[in-house]
Amino acid sequence: MEAEERELELLIGPQHPASGHMRLIAKIDGDVVTELRPDIGYVHRSVEKIAETKKFLQIIPLVERPSLPDTTANNLAYVMALEKLLGIEPPPRAKYLRTLLAEITRIHSHLYGLGIHGVMIGSSTAYMWCFGDREPFLQLAQELTGARLTYSYIIPGGVRRDMPKGFADKVEKVLRYMEGRMKDYFDIYFNNPVTRARLEGVGVLKREDAIRLGAVGPNLRASNVPYDVRKAEPYAAYPDVEFDVITEKAGDSFARVMVRVREIGESIKIIRQVLKRIPDGPILHENYEKLIPPKLKEQYKSTGIVKFPSLFANLKAPEGEAIARVEGGRGEVVFHIISDGKTSPYRLRMVTPSFRNVVLFEHLTKGARVADIPAIYGSLDYFPPEADR
Amino acid sequence: MQVQEILNMLFEPYIFIPLVFPGLIAAFIVLLIIIWLERKIAAKVQLRYGPLYIIKPLGGVIQTVADLIRYLFQEPIIPKDVDKLAFLLTPVFLFGLAYLPVVVIPIGPSYYAFRSDLSLLIALALTTLAPIFTVLMGWASNNKFSLIGSVREGYLVISYEIPIFLSALSMAILYGTLDLVEIAEAQRGIWGIFLNPVAAVNMLVLMYMSTSKFPFEIPEAESEIVAGPYTEYGGILYGLVMGASYVKLYVLSLVYSILFLGGWNPLPQSMIGNPFISGSVLFIKSFILVAFGAFLRAVYPRFRIDQAVGLGWRISLPLSLISIFISLLLVMGGVRFVY
Repeated sequence: MEAEERELELLIGPQHPASGHMRLIAKIDGDVVTELRPDIGYVHRSVEKIAETKKFLQIIPLVERPSLPDTTANNLAYVMALEKLLGIEPPPRAKYLRTLLAEITRIHSHLYGLGIHGVMIGSSTAYMWCFGDREPFLQLAQELTGARLTYSYIIPGGVRRDMPKGFADKVEKVLRYMEGRMKDYFDIYFNNPVTRARLEGVGVLKREDAIRLGAVGPNLRASNVPYDVRKAEPYAAYPDVEFDVITEKAGDSFARVMVRVREIGESIKIIRQVLKRIPDGPILHENYEKLIPPKLKEQYKSTGIVKFPSLFANLKAPEGEAIARVEGGRGEVVFHIISDGKTSPYRLRMVTPSFRNVVLFEHLTKGARVADIPAIYGSLDYFPPEADR
Repeated sequence: MQVQEILNMLFEPYIFIPLVFPGLIAAFIVLLIIIWLERKIAAKVQLRYGPLYIIKPLGGVIQTVADLIRYLFQEPIIPKDVDKLAFLLTPVFLFGLAYLPVVVIPIGPSYYAFRSDLSLLIALALTTLAPIFTVLMGWASNNKFSLIGSVREGYLVISYEIPIFLSALSMAILYGTLDLVEIAEAQRGIWGIFLNPVAAVNMLVLMYMSTSKFPFEIPEAESEIVAGPYTEYGGILYGLVMGASYVKLYVLSLVYSILFLGGWNPLPQSMIGNPFISGSVLFIKSFILVAFGAFLRAVYPRFRIDQAVGLGWRISLPLSLISIFISLLLVMGGVRFVY
């Protein structure tokens, strides 16, 4: 009875500057968190059920909406599952373009996570810098795809647009800029004694716990588990490029931040390789290219922009089921499609990394301080709409 | 004739200092400029513009005035379950007490509202009153975040108050007086910061700690406890409590400038008698200190409360004892000041 009276129940969110679209129900004893339960579902929008009523092509924009900072992963995983059902393989150039966009997205998704984490522990500079430096990458993606965030770039059998002229030089310029900026980030933020004091040793996720709880993505790799879908089950152009799976040993908030920072470096490496090795050729599978009417085909050949053949709208997937997984910025994205041979899936299952990481909240915050809640929250790069779907 | 009399009365130090300079009106102007400057400095570091549109050629300098007008016309919302009297009065007391220590601050060797042998002690003692009202504010708000914020303020107070007094008193030992006028005059030759740098650095950090500047912006940590004790406040009441910590920093900076930065020194003998010139020198020094505090926002994240309390007791307290020791050594070594 007495212990109960000592505890204070704190409802953090959903109306709170740093809660996101969720509620954290914290029980605190003085400054120590005894229990923290995330109450999710505030932005559930029933993507899986809506998908059953939409046509296969309409689902592409639908599935990328929940995780706005990291849309390519959802787009790619869904299309890969669909392609498995359809039994087609995109041409090599399309695969490289998919990898290119996926890595550009990974960089700006990581910057988003790092920025939000920065402002959660009080560094508005880290926030502004990260969000500012996302901009060149968003512009690159815009030039490649025509959109800033919701690209819908990857379609069954290929991609929507070819690389514009002179794109490689622009990318190189942005990559150089980012590499130069990283030094400033370390000077003012990552090596800041206050940042270190706030993050090191906070929210330690042990290796065995990370595996047992099923953590994914950078959060798993920060606990020294070298698991990355890009290596474990290579897709797109990843078998052809060389990169390291970044791991950190400590498993604390700072390790999770460092994994993201170093992954930005790896992504820069991958983008350079992709641009060097990208083969010439079509960007859409020949079966679909055939369907494009002659007039549009001319336009496609001259501009490299695919206008959907109208037949695409009624794309039917053969009966069966398929699973595809992709390593997104936040971790593993899994799509499972069951088709009964109609124009809409019978069932679509979408497993997002944030949903798998939400379990970590309860585990990591036990015994932490009240001020550690945002420090841990931010380090997980958790995105409520992505978890709620 | 009447106007002349009123003007003469206004320039009497006992009215001019608390009311005009460096008191209420100066504090108000500092408040308006420093909030703008803080946003502008942070924007510069963060590669943005900051306030811009209100008087564009001057970089939006009166943005804060616009904000103030908005605060004034905003409906002050008083939540149903608060302790109404305490809720309404604490911002007023907080703001008033924050600038009260100004009454003992001299702006020239012979221009002061109130001279006392103990004016340093009085100034410091008056600055310790404000946190009581912050704690009361958290209690009156009837909000868990406010309560946590005010408890944090309480923890911070006990960790900075003792070392800040000891650091200031180490200088009093060195100068052999508690009178701010004499302290400033003692630094005609060499400034206190060079005689006892340990005390100077220590007190500077603690000064920012006591006014919740980064990295000690712990009681109102936005991402943790919304706005701490100020969570339930809106409109002009919020404007007052937000302004109070800036005013407190400004007042402490005045004290700091007199203690360590030579007050109105160095000035030639002919100018030192003019309270406007000596006051301006003092003002510029303390304004730089306030601006530096604002700049820290762009550099540091915030500490956790246990880390800040640890810093106060484990590092600042020993440092302040060391600074007393340094002062004693200097005094025993024959450093003397003549007044």
